[in-house]
Amino acid sequence: MQYEIESWNGYLQKEIERMTSKNAVVIFSKNTCCMCHAIKRLMCGMGVDPTVYECDDHNLTWQHTLFSLLGNSSSSSLLVVFSGGKLVGSIDSIMVAHINDILVPLLKEAGALWL
Amino acid sequence: MENQRGTASTLSADHHNMPYNTSLMYHSTINSNQEPSSTFDFGELEEAIVLQGVKMSNDESIKSSLYEAAKNRPAATLEMFPSWPTRVHHTPRGSSKSRGEQSSDSGSALNTTISSKGEANLEPESPISQQQQFQEMASDSPTTGVSHTEKRKGAGSTSDRVTDAKTLRRLAQNREAARKSRLRKKAYVQQLETSRMRLAQLEQELQRARSQGLFMGGGAAGPNISSGGAMFDMEYSRWLDDDQRQISELRTALQSHLGDVELRIIVDDYIAHYDDIFRLRGIAAKSDVFHLITGVWVTPAERCFLWIGGFRPSDLIKMLIAKLDPLTQQQVVGIYSLQQSSQQAEEALSQGLEQLQQSLIETIATGPANDGMHHMAIALAKLANLEVFLHQADNLRQQTLHQLYRILTIRQAARCFMVIGEYYGRLRALSSLWASRPRETMMADDNSCQTTNELQMIQQSQYHFSNM
Repeated sequence: MQYEIESWNGYLQKEIERMTSKNAVVIFSKNTCCMCHAIKRLMCGMGVDPTVYECDDHNLTWQHTLFSLLGNSSSSSLLVVFSGGKLVGSIDSIMVAHINDILVPLLKEAGALWL
Repeated sequence: MENQRGTASTLSADHHNMPYNTSLMYHSTINSNQEPSSTFDFGELEEAIVLQGVKMSNDESIKSSLYEAAKNRPAATLEMFPSWPTRVHHTPRGSSKSRGEQSSDSGSALNTTISSKGEANLEPESPISQQQQFQEMASDSPTTGVSHTEKRKGAGSTSDRVTDAKTLRRLAQNREAARKSRLRKKAYVQQLETSRMRLAQLEQELQRARSQGLFMGGGAAGPNISSGGAMFDMEYSRWLDDDQRQISELRTALQSHLGDVELRIIVDDYIAHYDDIFRLRGIAAKSDVFHLITGVWVTPAERCFLWIGGFRPSDLIKMLIAKLDPLTQQQVVGIYSLQQSSQQAEEALSQGLEQLQQSLIETIATGPANDGMHHMAIALAKLANLEVFLHQADNLRQQTLHQLYRILTIRQAARCFMVIGEYYGRLRALSSLWASRPRETMMADDNSCQTTNELQMIQQSQYHFSNM
């Protein structure tokens, strides 16, 4: 049983890697999440066009994997942002990075912004 | 009625108890209370006054006229109604009273009685039961006086029915009773007015205290505040006290041109102070997010500018830009960039919140009648997102303050935080000034002292403000 879950996880990890390497900014979020809307607004406001994958309520393995990426934080809103194939974090990290003037350079590095 | 039955015995009893009655009356006028309950004695006297043709149009004239009436009373009574033996029957109290008044230093006793009109509280300690009964009946309703005079008059007219004097007397008594009840009503209304004003004042004071963020536990707001909310209010008021102390510490540190190292310690303290309140808000949000988001705990003026349960970081930066004047080019760039990022983040969060509201509206509106619970569960899950938004907004606020701290030098940061603290202090003062602004002329005196103090506080902080 344990082995199977791990293999599932491994499989999903690979999937995630594949998905996030295709686009500059990739957002995974749970369905009907309003915070996702906020992040999308933020990104669009900066001129970034993120790719959003919305995860079903029923797709627990995906949720589990994504949560584990975040370090199993207690945040009730599931939102994971990748930039340039690398994990940025949840919405907390995005906000912090943005205020601290880190996000824009990061996005530029990922090729999401050109100006 | 007892007074009719026990007349004979009463008279004798009156004679017997006269001195006691007198001293009792004098005693009770000394211990006068506020209750205008015993107006029955005036009924007696006023009636006599009317019959003498004395005008009683106001309270002051009553004093003197009653005094006069009481002095002249026995003679006048006897003169006017010589043919009525029953007259004596029906005013055993009156006569006993007059006798009592006479036998004492009538002037002084009566004067004190009259001067404490409305206040004399002749308690039913009197040995005369009729007195007690009359008192109870008189204090029950203002119309009792009329009915009493009616009864007295009615009983008295059993013997003689046709005399003009009788009719005249009846009319006069009616007039008198009406006048008496009008006066009583006026006194009662005045009492109501004063207590209403007092109540309004108390409510204002309470409002003022509340608007200054000085919450007295959960008691002040009644049952509407959850325990989590009440606890947060208490901690917030403690935080406010701390805040004031630290602001003045910053001010004295800047004025005394403290060294950078010591200044850094104070500024670090202040940052930790803000981190503290954000942490407390996080805890409170878990138990009652609405309490924080709707700004129950904050003064009305602050609530007016509330954005997701707190201040709007970009507004704060806008306010600070002018005050932090000697900035290097790099700092200016940094601050403007910070303003822009916080504006973008605020916009994103606001839109996300709006999306949440729309989604909630949809869920609540389209729930089917039979499957209501399922939709309610969905709505509840959506409401839980409020906490996330509040947390993100607080995060934004906290990060903005930290970033300011990084961009500015230590001296600039000290000034910056002092400015922030003073700004909110003024906003809170504005709230309480607004709450206590004179709306009725009668309350102006009470409020003017408070207003003056607050104006002084504002002037003082302004002075310090401009000195920096």
